[in-house]
Amino acid sequence: MGDREFADVAIIGGGPAGLAAAAEAKGAGAERVIMIERDERVGGILNQQVHDGFGTKVFKEALTGPEYSAIYEDRVNERGVETWLKSTVTELTNDRVITVRSERGIETIEAGAVVLAMGCRERTRGAIGTPGTRPAGVYTAGAVQYYMNVSNLAVGRKVVILGSGDIGLIMARRMTLEGAEVVCVAEILPQPSGIAGNIVRCLEDFDIPLYLSTTVVEIHGNERVTGVTLAEVGPKMGEKKGTRRYFDCDTLLLSVGLIPETELANALGLAMSPVTNGAIVDESFHTSAPGIFSCGNVLQVHDVVDYATLEAEKTGIAAAKYAMIGELPETNINVTAGAGLRYVLPATISGGDAIDFTMRPWKEEHDKSVVFKSGGEVLRRMKMPHMEPAGMIRIRVGKGRFKHVVNNEILVEVEE
Amino acid sequence: MNSTIICTVCPVSCPVDVEWTKEDGVLGIRNHLCKLAGPYVESELFDPRRLLTTSIPVDGGDWPLVSVKTDPPIPKNLMLEAMDEITGVRVKAPIKVGDVLMTDILGTGCNVVATRNVKSA
Repeated sequence: MGDREFADVAIIGGGPAGLAAAAEAKGAGAERVIMIERDERVGGILNQQVHDGFGTKVFKEALTGPEYSAIYEDRVNERGVETWLKSTVTELTNDRVITVRSERGIETIEAGAVVLAMGCRERTRGAIGTPGTRPAGVYTAGAVQYYMNVSNLAVGRKVVILGSGDIGLIMARRMTLEGAEVVCVAEILPQPSGIAGNIVRCLEDFDIPLYLSTTVVEIHGNERVTGVTLAEVGPKMGEKKGTRRYFDCDTLLLSVGLIPETELANALGLAMSPVTNGAIVDESFHTSAPGIFSCGNVLQVHDVVDYATLEAEKTGIAAAKYAMIGELPETNINVTAGAGLRYVLPATISGGDAIDFTMRPWKEEHDKSVVFKSGGEVLRRMKMPHMEPAGMIRIRVGKGRFKHVVNNEILVEVEE
Repeated sequence: MNSTIICTVCPVSCPVDVEWTKEDGVLGIRNHLCKLAGPYVESELFDPRRLLTTSIPVDGGDWPLVSVKTDPPIPKNLMLEAMDEITGVRVKAPIKVGDVLMTDILGTGCNVVATRNVKSA
């Protein structure tokens, strides 16, 4: 048993959100910042995302995942964040005592503030109930990305991809470049789940067909996948008769969504959002438990790492302030998602600061506006030439606008 | 001519409406959220290029692979040929982000540059 350690701020997770939160917590004056990472390296998903497109908001240029990660890794090292690698948090209590398991054994950290930055894991075959046998050759897209880009392992020669999430699209290109044949991508929804840019650069550039409203109805093969049967689905996701098609393949990749790693948050009994599956937070990314914060993909799934970074930086500063002075701005104004929006974050604000609201629409829309209202008056209207569920929207509202808030309520809606 | 080109510089993927002619180039663009769309649309119409990213095996490193990119982006139609050139190359640790690992690939003037630090094991 190790001794009990004390930290001003403890960050759980060393991916893009954890790195940014740790660097800013230290930068804001927290004396001892410990970042706990279960892998042998920091960087999280960025280590395997060797493609470009990261950093266009923060650095105004498109970097690759490892380049983006290296910038923040250097920053946490320069600022003197303590990084605990190969260390897994097994328990977190409401009074911010963290149990960590590593090669050193079991250690406990008592922290002034805790930032939850554990990210997401991939939804697997079991979670979507794919019918058929259970042969080898069925992988999640992110697992294959790790094998190819980090471990130097190839997984198959002829591939069908189920789900048009971004990682699936990126892997369609990656496997094509490495010499595999990507037969097609099937998406159960009538529209792609990944961003439009990836449809162009990962599928159209290589003439890979995308079949919408289509899913896998059977996986064939006993020891190894030998093929899959696809079929079209109707509006209620039922199989359309007479649309079955068989495709030869030795590998099926699943890119069917992400699940926030919220086990620690659930054990704490935090107030959670049934829409994002992340914690409900205020403008400081403070959860319902005092001194416990949440940011990055464990809070809401991001499609742009830059936005996860910006959110985490704000969280790191707030966590440092909480650890040092023990209080945060009171947030009495409730923010609610109205027509057209699945959710808006944060849930409560103080009105004393500009806020970068993040949200997602229910469906694709053109030439609409996102409107912030209070007591029937418009606080801010943002014209949106194009919105889609795959693209998170981020809108800044200046603090001056909050002077006109009535009854401590803000409603955010999509309007003509 | 009027075309809609999806800007792929960043994940926002603006569907940029562009008015252009072969002789005079791009006359005007709309429906974009930032300045990066202009140069992208111009390149996509007259000289489409892609940043090719892949990885190269490393001997004696703390990672088995170093991730790489072409710098600058290579012509779109040469991506698979460039992969053939890169496949089979091995490099030695240590490697730093920005190290040039291959020069003037396929006579394009593009280099292959490391995007990850790989320390000696």
